[in-house]
Amino acid sequence: MRTVITDVLLIGGGLLLLVCALGVLVMRGPYDKLHYASASGWGTLLVALAILVHESFSLIADKALATAALLAACGPALGHATARAARIRERGEWNPSHRGEPAEREK
Amino acid sequence: MNAWLIAALALLPALLVCGVTCFFSAAIDGLVALELASTLSVVELMLLSEGTGRQPFIDLALVLAAMGLIGSVAFARLMEGGP
Repeated sequence: MRTVITDVLLIGGGLLLLVCALGVLVMRGPYDKLHYASASGWGTLLVALAILVHESFSLIADKALATAALLAACGPALGHATARAARIRERGEWNPSHRGEPAEREK
Repeated sequence: MNAWLIAALALLPALLVCGVTCFFSAAIDGLVALELASTLSVVELMLLSEGTGRQPFIDLALVLAAMGLIGSVAFARLMEGGP
């Protein structure tokens, strides 16, 4: 039973990562590509869970889980930083609609 | 060759795809591909560590994950003003 769960998690994680790479190759523009790149953290988590199920709590499994948790937790912040850079390159600033004084914006 | 090493081998084309995107796309698209390549390299090291039973690879994966995140954020900040 443990082998089956390990194989399912490993194949799922691998396929998810391959789909992410395919999406980054095929999609046009950084925003569309970012959707796929950001999902790769979950593929890492699936692979780490496969190692955890296979080995139980060993040194390798603990560190793999810590690595995957780091990537899954910081992935959204990284995606935001990249999207922010893309938007500033595209429009000149982060939020071009807020150029005027606060009173002018309310009009 | 066990299942972990086969999975590591199967993920190599994904790294190649990221390299192709970095070379032939715009700079900001290349940054996205670089972030994915960083994650894929971490997974490759995790799989190699489990497949070969050598613990130093998982330490490399942990350090690469942290350095990759910091490097990607630094690249993104640089690209806000660069060409």
